[in-house]
Amino acid sequence: MSAPQDSTRPGTLVTRLEHQSSGAAVVWVSGEIDTLTAPALDEALTALLAADPSDGVVGVELSGVGFLASSGLAVLIRAAHQARAQGRDLHLVAGGRAVARPLQVTGSDRLFTLHDDLSTLPGGASSQVD
Amino acid sequence: MSAVEPTGTPGGGGSVVEVRTSATAALIPTIRAVASDLAARADFDLDAISDLRMAVDEACATLVDVASPGSALQCSFTVHGNVIEVEARVDTAGPESTVSTDTFGWRVLQTLADEVELRTDGGRSVGILLNKRADPTPR
Repeated sequence: MSAPQDSTRPGTLVTRLEHQSSGAAVVWVSGEIDTLTAPALDEALTALLAADPSDGVVGVELSGVGFLASSGLAVLIRAAHQARAQGRDLHLVAGGRAVARPLQVTGSDRLFTLHDDLSTLPGGASSQVD
Repeated sequence: MSAVEPTGTPGGGGSVVEVRTSATAALIPTIRAVASDLAARADFDLDAISDLRMAVDEACATLVDVASPGSALQCSFTVHGNVIEVEARVDTAGPESTVSTDTFGWRVLQTLADEVELRTDGGRSVGILLNKRADPTPR
């Protein structure tokens, strides 16, 4: 059993948890989020929200995502509620239309703090500029 | 007319593309790729292409969940000018195999498509019919 090499192949998803120098914890996601891969996203976001101090900044970098189905949206929404219950926001870098459009059309964009890129995350390199 | 011919679709006319796969989630990426391609060729704007791709994915994922073991997922796309009509259908094992419309996924589907309709056939099959216009309705 070898791991798939090509993260952009339809129906595959790669997630990676990374700690920024600012202290923020960020999950990088690339591939397609649908009913097959939503459980992997769920697992990654659960780890993100469980592993870090509950007052830490948490974010999800979705620029590498080429498709987002309602099953994936549901996972993101659940994570946003969970973060809110911990007293913090879930920060998202939506990236392209494949993620931004589903968030916008369902009105779920209001549940997240959206960023163009990670540099505007609280505590990030350029976050002094308000 | 080439090998593709209208097959008694409502409204008649239009070009028809039919895709038939095993009713498994692993093949839905192929079907949504067909949806994107047809929408792009029909001059749908980028938001409408994205909406149709997601709506078709949602319809197919919903149906695969209730399909009887070993059955096929049949997807028929009809392009009528600036509207694409999609009918997706699977065979079901009996009347207990129903699609619930009281779900987050169904609400998303209703938001994405201009019209959505659930069609059951006495427990033998379940279909989802949806329409999408080339220009997204302002929200």
